[in-house]
Amino acid sequence: MSPKSRFAIGFRQWMAVLPYIALGLIGTAVFVLYPMIKNILISFQNFSIMPNASNDWVGFANYAKVFQDPNGKFWIALRNTFLNVIATVPVNWFLAILFAVLINAKFVKYKIAFRTIYYLPIVTSWIIIALLFKYLFADGDGGFVNYILHKQLGLLPQAISWRSNYWSAMIMIWLFHIWKTVGWGVVIYMAALQGVPKDLYEAADIDGANAGQRFWHITIPLLKPISIFVVINLVNGAFGFFPQVYFITKGGPMDQTQVIPSLIYTQAFEHLKFGPAAAMGFMMGIMVFLLTYSQMTKIGKQRMF
Amino acid sequence: MGSMRKVFGGVMAAALAASLAACGSGNGNGGGDAAASPSAGATDSGGSGAETPKDRVKLEYWHTYSDQEEKVLTEKIKPAFEKAYPNIELQLTRMPYEGLKQQVIAGVAGDAAPDLMRMDIVWVPEFASQGALAKLSDLEGFDEVKANVFDGPLATNFYDGAYYGVPVNTNTKVAIYNKKTLEEAGLTEAPKTMDELVKAAETLKSKGKFGLGVSGVNAWGLAPWFWSLGGKITNDDYTKSDGFLNSPESVKALETLVSWNAKGLIIPTMLGGEPGVWDGLKSGDYLMTDDGPWFYSILMNEKDAKFDPMAETVRGLMPAGAGGSRSVIGGEDLVVFANSKHPKEAWTFAQWMMTEEPQKIMAEVGLIPSNKAAAEAMKQMDIPFVGEFVQQLETALPRTPIPQWGEMEGIFNLSFEKAIRGEKKPKEALDEAAKQIDALLK
Amino acid sequence: MKTSLLGKIAVYAAILLGALLFLFPFVYMILTTFFLGTNTLPKPDEVFHVTPNYTNYATVWNKNHFTTYFMNSVIVTSVAMVGSLFLGALTAYGFSRFAFPGKEFVFRIFLLTMMIPGVINIIPQFVTIKGLGLVNTYWGLWLIYIAGGVVGNMFFLRGFFESIPKELEESVLIDGGGSWRIFWNIYLPQSLPAMGTLAIFIFQGTWEEYFLALTLIKSEALRTLPIAILMFNDKYATNYGQIFAASMIALLPVILIYMAFQKKFVQSGFNEGGVKG
Repeated sequence: MSPKSRFAIGFRQWMAVLPYIALGLIGTAVFVLYPMIKNILISFQNFSIMPNASNDWVGFANYAKVFQDPNGKFWIALRNTFLNVIATVPVNWFLAILFAVLINAKFVKYKIAFRTIYYLPIVTSWIIIALLFKYLFADGDGGFVNYILHKQLGLLPQAISWRSNYWSAMIMIWLFHIWKTVGWGVVIYMAALQGVPKDLYEAADIDGANAGQRFWHITIPLLKPISIFVVINLVNGAFGFFPQVYFITKGGPMDQTQVIPSLIYTQAFEHLKFGPAAAMGFMMGIMVFLLTYSQMTKIGKQRMF
Repeated sequence: MGSMRKVFGGVMAAALAASLAACGSGNGNGGGDAAASPSAGATDSGGSGAETPKDRVKLEYWHTYSDQEEKVLTEKIKPAFEKAYPNIELQLTRMPYEGLKQQVIAGVAGDAAPDLMRMDIVWVPEFASQGALAKLSDLEGFDEVKANVFDGPLATNFYDGAYYGVPVNTNTKVAIYNKKTLEEAGLTEAPKTMDELVKAAETLKSKGKFGLGVSGVNAWGLAPWFWSLGGKITNDDYTKSDGFLNSPESVKALETLVSWNAKGLIIPTMLGGEPGVWDGLKSGDYLMTDDGPWFYSILMNEKDAKFDPMAETVRGLMPAGAGGSRSVIGGEDLVVFANSKHPKEAWTFAQWMMTEEPQKIMAEVGLIPSNKAAAEAMKQMDIPFVGEFVQQLETALPRTPIPQWGEMEGIFNLSFEKAIRGEKKPKEALDEAAKQIDALLK
Repeated sequence: MKTSLLGKIAVYAAILLGALLFLFPFVYMILTTFFLGTNTLPKPDEVFHVTPNYTNYATVWNKNHFTTYFMNSVIVTSVAMVGSLFLGALTAYGFSRFAFPGKEFVFRIFLLTMMIPGVINIIPQFVTIKGLGLVNTYWGLWLIYIAGGVVGNMFFLRGFFESIPKELEESVLIDGGGSWRIFWNIYLPQSLPAMGTLAIFIFQGTWEEYFLALTLIKSEALRTLPIAILMFNDKYATNYGQIFAASMIALLPVILIYMAFQKKFVQSGFNEGGVKG
């Protein structure tokens, strides 16, 4: 095919599709891509919030500032991001598949009702749930969680100040995240289980396999493709912690629970350090890009449900 | 009081010299336009009455007044001002406290900031350094305003040789005691010294109650204690921290705080625990805390409350330690944004708001005037709790009024928290903080 | 396959325990809305002994312009939802049914944008809206909500669109219809369950959005519901009964919409094709 006709075909194809995607392309370019590019530029500038400020170019100074911070906030945030993935993804995944399989058991009635309840946290607002969790995890015996674990059950030697110590704050953030999002996995797996052929289980029954063996040797391998999808999405979600941290601890105590998005937000909007904040944003973008590059087209082709 | 005078004396002298110098160099901000416009002082109110409502200028004013305060603002302040200046209309917008700074930043960056705002005193130098605020000290009538207000609150508006706001109201914290618990500790009146207070706290310790009400590990919560115990954050010109924040006196002050906490004398709220300060104080589990006048104005206005703050608490000055009785200055400043479309009218309102009458109106809901005459008048008003606050203001100190304060406070809080949690020796923590702060001050 | 009685009890126990864990916080929240003490943390003993009443609901409904904000949120959210659904479907249709040069590239860029934290984009977005003269208008909010969400919505719908069999198009083509008719008569009706699911997400996401609304909307009369809720969170003291009463009112529409849509919810999502990785 000659270059010219290939161009002509391409042009015709674009003309055919443009009516459908033009608005989406323009909108994304203006409100998503342009801000991102703008932020990359800001990361090399001494940025002032004034509309007509000169914003001198400063090279990599903002990046240097991020790494030279005497309290290592960026590294702490990075470490927490990985901890969040390690702590929440396996639990989230396991609970999702477990509950889905249990609810899907033949004899269980009111399947839809259970699914509705499990999914309820997903459709409620982050802000409200965060307020609620802060309230449930309030310090002293006046907080419900302390009241149950310490006063009623005696599982804790003393009431915990959840948000004022590093590990307890992290645990609270994880519980908040898992509680809020596990319903998504349950719904996905419940839908996926509809497609699992029943005869495999019948064969296993004849072999005398018990419930645990059936779960580990049939259900889990069969659902492997869907599990990959679920896990990728869970990892992605755990990477993107923002409301989980911002609404619960604001990064405290002592900026110990910050993750990169919440750190970016506080640096920019509390301390007016837009340059370093943009630098962190750009670095996080590159990192996420590298980590997900190989999976990217796969994620793109996946169906969300 | 003596040393306070000296601090502000120095600042004022520097301010005067610098603002004189700045006059020549024309800063190009909205302030310049306003300075060029004819006088809009409180004196010419009669002349503007003739204008038709069509020409009325709308001033957008952001604030974070509380429920009761907002009521007074809309029902008394607004009508009074619009009567005096019929050509100006106030458009009042109450902002949520959450995310406030982000909104101001976005407003400034997008050229959509209001004309005026009542903002926390610690923000003013930071926004001034960004060029977001109009320079008020060049404007006509500023000297008059300056002469009528207290130096301490005014100093919070100072940045780089000029003033970028006027102190619309001021406040400070005093020691508030639960009466019953105070009696339980064997006292009949508020302790005058730290030693007395600590003794009371030790008595209460055996009863499972807490005596020392440090409300949080941040400058607002810690500073009154740290200063009263003899600590200092920087030198008097706010240019150096090394040798001050880590001086032997400061280290001693922090060590004292650390040892109190180790002995379990300080309320758990300091490190984020429960019950909250007000809850603990109401129930009598906490002997005392230091808090502002809103403790009374909010609790007294609560419907069907079982707790009567006037009858069940006792107020006193911060107990004196090696540094005397020190508290921290809080409050809000009224600023005009550099991009205001009506800088002249905005300044007119700011000037008017600083005069005695409006200051007295806001004093009715417990906001302490920074206008001297209004503050004097407030003592005669029938506001039962206000006396101690006005008295404490005489020795209260501002948090370092410089643009770097936001970052400085982060360092300050972190070093104190590390020491109090036992992660660092007080001396080490303060040495490190002083070094970091000096890097910012350069 | 038979499960022993003991096994059945164990399974039910586990499911019920899970349901309890998900439901209980809501129950505790509702109980707290009946609590009338002020500015103090309600203790569990007190919360469990409340008598149901509407006092806090009535108070918040009449405070801080709550009703106005509620209606504002209804307007903002419904338009944003309809607009997002339509634009998302349109774009997804373009990407799933047409081949064109550079598609893969555009795709990767789109994916990338979904993975980078957007919190810091507020300032450039705000400046753009300001440039269009749309500060303090709902048009500004709608533009960002709809344009900012189109990538995610497109990816969500595309999977469904691609599983719609091509044979269905033939009837339209035989009638002489073009791509538009196929979009309207085949793709949209065929993907209703997916659209319903997406509608819930968009509704909820817009309904609770406050970072942008707070920044863009300057006048009190135009504010949305999340801002009203934050107004109850005072600088000095928190009134839990009122905050959660306001929260409950805010949650109600979302939960109602979810209940209404959820029967159809994703059911047809996974046919056999869907399980393929």
